[in-house]
Amino acid sequence: MSAPNLLELHNISKSFGALTALRDLSFHIGSSEVVGLLGDNGAGKSTTVNLISGIYKPTSGYLSVDGEKTLFTCRSDSADAGIETIYQNTALVDSLSITRNIFMGRERTDAFGFLKQVEMRDIAMEVLEKAVHISGIDSPDKLVGDLSGGQKQAVAIARAVFFKRRVLLLDEPTSALSVRETEALLAQVLKLKAEGVSSVLVTHNLYHAYQVCDRFVIMSHGTKVFDVNKADTTISQLTEYVVLT
Amino acid sequence: MTYAMTDSAVPKSRTKKQSLLKQIMTMPAGAILLVFATLQIVCIVGALAYPDDFRYLSPQNLTILMKAIPVLGCLALGAGILMIAGEFDLSVGSVYTLTAVLMASLVDGGMSAFIAAPLGILLGVMIGLLNGTITLRLGLPSFIVTLGGLLFWRGAVLLYNGAVQVRFDPEPAFSSLFAGTLLGINAAFIWIVLFVVGFYLLLHRHKFGNHVFATGGNPAAATAIGINTDRVKLVAFAIAGGMAAVAGIIATARVGSVQPGQGAGLELQAIAACVIGGLSLRGGRGSIIGIFLGVMLIHTITDVLLLLRAPGFYLDMFIATLIVIAAAFNHLIERRGTA
Ligand SMILES: Nc1ncnc2c1ncn2[C@@H]1O[C@H](COP(=O)(O)OP(=O)(O)O)[C@@H](O)[C@H]1O
Ligand SMILES: [Mg+2]
Repeated sequence: MSAPNLLELHNISKSFGALTALRDLSFHIGSSEVVGLLGDNGAGKSTTVNLISGIYKPTSGYLSVDGEKTLFTCRSDSADAGIETIYQNTALVDSLSITRNIFMGRERTDAFGFLKQVEMRDIAMEVLEKAVHISGIDSPDKLVGDLSGGQKQAVAIARAVFFKRRVLLLDEPTSALSVRETEALLAQVLKLKAEGVSSVLVTHNLYHAYQVCDRFVIMSHGTKVFDVNKADTTISQLTEYVVLT
Repeated sequence: MTYAMTDSAVPKSRTKKQSLLKQIMTMPAGAILLVFATLQIVCIVGALAYPDDFRYLSPQNLTILMKAIPVLGCLALGAGILMIAGEFDLSVGSVYTLTAVLMASLVDGGMSAFIAAPLGILLGVMIGLLNGTITLRLGLPSFIVTLGGLLFWRGAVLLYNGAVQVRFDPEPAFSSLFAGTLLGINAAFIWIVLFVVGFYLLLHRHKFGNHVFATGGNPAAATAIGINTDRVKLVAFAIAGGMAAVAGIIATARVGSVQPGQGAGLELQAIAACVIGGLSLRGGRGSIIGIFLGVMLIHTITDVLLLLRAPGFYLDMFIATLIVIAAAFNHLIERRGTA
């Protein structure tokens, strides 16, 4: 416990009116670590992800980044801290090209605000080739609307990679993907880990989680019931915790 | 779950094998370009074959076309950029008349047209901002808010001016700037070409345009990524209002007077031009070249029907059919895009 963790949740509670979605939730994400956030439907996983990405504010408790207490009030606060969320329905604009989506809101422009199209296209091309080689995206000029679910997620990940994110939050990323796309995505998570990017993987599929995660945080009714390293557990033990708590 | 098969089995070269026709059709304004080009060829061939009966290529006719296009063009460019941002402005026809009446009566009262015209544009921008503020602050559909604007400002013109025509008699320099000719080309047409180039740069080459597409195409994503969608929309509302005023200036300079009833129906024509030009009614899709081709197509058809001495109602029926076909086609493309 010498170096501070990349991200820590301290006694977080979150209520929506009378409903308490999270209660006294604490866990951490280390650097270069893939954490599986598991739990049954309604356990509060998505609420946790939204809270870390700044969409919700905690009712009580706080987050810390690199050991420093922080408060995210909106999505761009978490982006500034290096956190990127990849949703099931990715936050992309179908009618625009891959390049424009990657640079959306962070366009490269000249002094007058005109787009440096060639520069952005070259970078997009490179990121797509080097960082995310998923299922045949052959040109950054393609419209995102013409891509498959997995390819769209690849674009979202490319965006995260290029803008040097430190933590990826993936909320049920594989639920709309083909088997092959799922494998590619999981491989991507491991590749990013090797480059020092941590991930939080929310999934129903314990096998997927077991395949890539270093640690598991299991939630039930808004709080943590189990926090275990991969070396100290088995799939059947994880299953028991998810099902029985 | 179907794309598990398609996406891995189909080779990458699929796109290269597409026919030229298919490639043109999938371009943002490809379909309209094709229709427009076909119509032009038919008209030109017809005019060459029957030069006495179908005077499409006569200098008089070309001048009429060049004078007619800029007014609807300005309205459609402004309304179109707003449509891509995901909102409507039905008040542009009334704003067009209101600002023209204001400008003409200021000039009548002795003001220079070079001051009165910018004041008219300023009024248009203010009304656009008002539409936007009401729409966004109260969370109302812009369709309803600007329908209110259409009726309100139409009434305001009659209240302020009555139903009488206003003479517009500016200094000669102003007239030649907006209604003169340069190298045989009508000044208003040069203006609209400049506006098309300017809007093209703004929408397709500038950061702002990127944000307009994002705001209309996926507001949640745009917000998530840190784009202030309300501000983008507000600017688009202002542009729509300002361009309505510009249309009023160009029309008034050409005719030399303003009729208080002249803007009625223009807002619908502007939206029609946008839809024909490939804009989605749901926002996020479209192109400047498409809007301009939509405007030119409407005026070409109007012109051809006039040359053929067809009764006016044919025009409405023609445009109506075209709008529905265009909307159906756009819908098809959108479905493909989101599948
Ligand atoms: N915006 C919200 N307003 C009200 N209740 C919510 C909201 N978001 C989540 N909840 C509630 O919080 C609980 C946890 O939901 P969620 O985090 O989506 O669970 P999970 O992702 O683990 O399935 C559920 O009971 C859900 O109904
Ligand atoms: Mg969930």
